[in-house]
Amino acid sequence: MKLSPKLKIGIIVVLLIAFFVVLNLTAISKGIKNFFYLISSPIQKTLWRLSNNLSDFLEAISNINKLKKETEETRLQNQELLKELVTLKEIREENKILREALDLGLEKEFKLQIAQVISKDISEDSLIIDKGSKEGIEEGLPVISQQKVLWGRISEVYPNFSRVMLISNKESSFDAKIVNEEEIQGVVKGKGNLKIIFDLIPQEKEIEEGNLLITTSLGGIYPEGLLIGLVKTIKKSDIEPWQQAEIQPFFDLSEAEILFIIIEW
Amino acid sequence: MKKILILVIVFYILVLFQISFLVHFNIFDGSFLGWSPNLILIAVILLNIFENPQKNSGYFTAFIGGFFLDIFSGHFLGINFIGFWISILLAISFSIKFILRKYVRTPFFKKA
Repeated sequence: MKLSPKLKIGIIVVLLIAFFVVLNLTAISKGIKNFFYLISSPIQKTLWRLSNNLSDFLEAISNINKLKKETEETRLQNQELLKELVTLKEIREENKILREALDLGLEKEFKLQIAQVISKDISEDSLIIDKGSKEGIEEGLPVISQQKVLWGRISEVYPNFSRVMLISNKESSFDAKIVNEEEIQGVVKGKGNLKIIFDLIPQEKEIEEGNLLITTSLGGIYPEGLLIGLVKTIKKSDIEPWQQAEIQPFFDLSEAEILFIIIEW
Repeated sequence: MKKILILVIVFYILVLFQISFLVHFNIFDGSFLGWSPNLILIAVILLNIFENPQKNSGYFTAFIGGFFLDIFSGHFLGINFIGFWISILLAISFSIKFILRKYVRTPFFKKA
């Protein structure tokens, strides 16, 4: 019996649909993804590092004039900072003693797991890191950098890898505050393309460009006091009940290599 | 068989290059319509356009490309399953072939 071409195509389409339904309804899809990440990770790590170095190099070349001017300014600033440094060193010593006395070390504040970034998603703001459920990673855990800068949270876990949803991801939203003279609460929303906004700020609150934005423990998503970014521009309208601010995030993809996952806080 | 293997390797390298290398360069940082250029998508479209419309290897190209995109990308428009990109690319490939077969007459020179 010879099948007509249309019937053949129909059978192939039905079989393909059935194959994908089975694949996605079972845990096989996670296994397949994990397998591909596993065999690709050495190449990806090399590519990531290479690209990081190359982009730094190219950026340095393109900014050479700007850098000259900045060097001059920095030299002047340096002298003033040296003066401050002496004072700060004294304060640091004092702080260290107090921290030890009060048991407030950062490493004691959080239980951390170190991870390396291997890739960024093509279609959305998310990263793949080389730690997964085998290392105790779970969905929802916050991801930070060494400087306590918030990057995002774990959105998907594979046996050896995890997906980090960046705070700039369109699906990301969480409570945050500006620590000014008074505390200003609001919600940080991801806008995609590594951009974030600070929304739902009451109209009567005064915010300024350059204000520091940090997390609150209000939603229970992130621990308190993680650094998010600085206020870049403020959008205030009399007809809107809330004001909005565009945020310059602290996280920088060109510096993404080693991140920390907060296991416990 | 050799052609299939080459396609698989090329697409695999292309996807790794995009997600681990190109992301560091500002020019690719979502400057175009908020999306970074999708090399696989571009490759599939070009291969389907420049292939002989009577041949069907363009569909296979779309399948391989879609498979790698599904593996290495997470959610897209809130959808996350293996088969999403494959369907999209197959539909694109089918549309290109349909237009080329029905409405475009392309001169092809046979080998002497």
